[in-house]
Amino acid sequence: MTDTDLLALHGLAVKKAGSPAAVAAVLGADESEIESALEAAVAEGRAAGAKGTFMVAPAGREWLDSRYPEAYAEFRADPAASEAYERFERINRELLSLFTDWQMMPAAGGERVPNDHSDADYDNGVIDRLGAQHERAEKVLDRFAELDPRLGIYETRLDEAYDRVLAGEIDWVSGARIDSYHTVWFELHEDLLRMLGREREEAP
Amino acid sequence: MTAVADRVVVLDGSSVPDREVVGNKGRSIAWMLSLGLPVPPALCLPIEECRRFHAAGGELEDEAWRSVLAGVAGLEEKLGRSFGGGANPLLVSVRSGAAVSMPGMMDTVLNLGITDEVEEALAALSGDRDFARSTHCRFVHQFGETVLGADLDEPGPDATPAEVREAVLRDTDEAVPTDPHEALKAVIATVFGSWSSRRAKAYRKHWGISEDGGTAVIVQAMVFGNLGEDSGTGVLFSRNPLSGDPAPYGEWLPKGQGEDVVSGTHDPLPLEVLEGSMRGAHDRLIEAAKLLEHEHGDVQDVEFTVERGELWLLQTRSAKRSPLAAVRAAVDLAQEGAIERAEALRRVSAEQLATVLAPKLAEAEVAKAEVLARGVAACPGVASGIGVVDSEAACKADGDVVLARPTTSPEDVSGMIAARAVVTERGGSTSHAAVVTRALGRPSVVGVGEGVSDGLAGRELTVDGSAGVVYAGILLTEDVDPATVPGLGTLIEWAREASPVAVVDEVPDSVDLDAAGAALDEGAPDAGALAEALRGATAARGSALATAEGARAVLEAGVGTVERLPGQHEAALLLRLAQEQSNLLEDKER
Repeated sequence: MTDTDLLALHGLAVKKAGSPAAVAAVLGADESEIESALEAAVAEGRAAGAKGTFMVAPAGREWLDSRYPEAYAEFRADPAASEAYERFERINRELLSLFTDWQMMPAAGGERVPNDHSDADYDNGVIDRLGAQHERAEKVLDRFAELDPRLGIYETRLDEAYDRVLAGEIDWVSGARIDSYHTVWFELHEDLLRMLGREREEAP
Repeated sequence: MTAVADRVVVLDGSSVPDREVVGNKGRSIAWMLSLGLPVPPALCLPIEECRRFHAAGGELEDEAWRSVLAGVAGLEEKLGRSFGGGANPLLVSVRSGAAVSMPGMMDTVLNLGITDEVEEALAALSGDRDFARSTHCRFVHQFGETVLGADLDEPGPDATPAEVREAVLRDTDEAVPTDPHEALKAVIATVFGSWSSRRAKAYRKHWGISEDGGTAVIVQAMVFGNLGEDSGTGVLFSRNPLSGDPAPYGEWLPKGQGEDVVSGTHDPLPLEVLEGSMRGAHDRLIEAAKLLEHEHGDVQDVEFTVERGELWLLQTRSAKRSPLAAVRAAVDLAQEGAIERAEALRRVSAEQLATVLAPKLAEAEVAKAEVLARGVAACPGVASGIGVVDSEAACKADGDVVLARPTTSPEDVSGMIAARAVVTERGGSTSHAAVVTRALGRPSVVGVGEGVSDGLAGRELTVDGSAGVVYAGILLTEDVDPATVPGLGTLIEWAREASPVAVVDEVPDSVDLDAAGAALDEGAPDAGALAEALRGATAARGSALATAEGARAVLEAGVGTVERLPGQHEAALLLRLAQEQSNLLEDKER
């Protein structure tokens, strides 16, 4: 398994710039431990920090890339992880197309128009699809959590976003400034890519 | 409405039952039939049956099932087809339909009634063996996923029903029934059961919707658009949803079936082709669309199928439309007397108006500009800045920047927030970058090709996220002349008349909400705090006044004049004020 230094910097890389609290939330870890690990990373030149917000420094990126193969050797070699990741990718494609439908509604002639959320039936249809994918995602996350319990935190975070969506807080589907469903999913995607040492593949 | 053995409602248009009895979809079918429109016949297990189903411990009572069988026999008789066999087979769709729309319930299973024998009959009828086989596959796949909860890949074009059955069995240890009656019963039970699904329950809990309700089940005959040259399927808009032009606009796919038009996998033809080949069906369709538009008081999007020359309407709903069309249709409908002016003002959202009024690239500029990259238009809008290739540089930059990346990861979100526009090398309209830029309202072009971003670094760029083009240089934009947008001048005039508050360019002594700390940063402002800040003022200005909450506060505080800030559009402010004024009047009436 991995040590706290690696984990803290990995969490920071996944989360983009963040406070120890935000990084701890991504990792489901203790905030004070993460804070001291991040401060140590700053001292090592692997992270930069100001006013409680940290960023991964270029040297930190290189260090992470050099540590990943060993730290996640077992995870990378496990066929169960690759298989779970294939499932993840399938859901990822569905989710991204769903987020797009949420933001832009198909109109006529192949054109799309921005969704102004005035059509409850349309919105509920998309939320319904989100619910179906959320249930598929739970199964995949359970598999990942068996391989690395840390990943279980994503299920909790996705649950929170999904609950808010159901409660009518529609920004929590794909809002970019909050831990919306898309934000958390995007971070999970990044986390898995880093653990597995894979390249991001974008749908054409 | 006819009751068969008391437990099923036949939707034949002889009456229009309450939505509390038959749900929204059931009511809509009955209503269209009552207008004399051609809708495939259907029967409905009313919401009451859902309660009985749950009271009986999740079982469909024998009496109810006998009623379904009698109802299906009625459909067979009406159409001269038979369910589950014969040379002229009847296939049905099964849908849920509660009184209020909610996520979490089983939506639709299509092509119920198909068997190996029926597949043969369908192949003979349509002359299309592949269609018959894929219809069978789609049924098995859909049943497997929705009823048995299988997690399957989409069946490929060469898949056989036996293979899909095998995949379902592997994933769930359960078999898709080969007996169509057994399948029908299972689907009905799944719809009723889905009322208690975790998602539906969570939704009702959040919204305080009673658990005592339930969903109806609609069993409707399916019609086919691929039974030869005189068949096809399409979509008709009662007026053009892109331009707002009052002429109906449609797409027609001869020999097409079901989702073919909507899914975009086939290239449809313009409606004139239908007019040329089947004048009667075309004219009935146009007439039906006008009637539906009149009854709804809004532009309609009608899905239809022509089966052997006979027109069938499958669904109608309010059409999704472009901002331009929203303006024009609202004004036209009011001028035609279909809706009131206050309603016309409500039909155009402030976001739509802002899009219509957004400055456009000057054509002369575009004509002489150098194109640096082309890609997929992912988020509409135009913005300019200096190209930067990493997020840190975007965050640290003083002036306007355009972020260009090979692809984006969560790390780049802060850079995307800081940038005016975003360009990526890889990915399409559903990439993370596309989703994030739309959420942020940053114009973006994605998928411009490997290695392109380095060439954009340090250059002045203009990104047209509507056209999917990146230009060299900071191109000039020009304001939209309202006279060039059909309906816009009239809409602005109506907003001015409806707003009790004047919008001017300059007024002395206006309260500055931004200076008072009520600037619009993110999210909706607090209406109460705004009203407090405006107490006793005669005039006001501020970024928050572009929002509904701001307009509401102005009206409630009795402010007489709003001063327009640079960048704010008079029309947008007036529309908000007019909309909130009519909401205020409505609230008072209540």
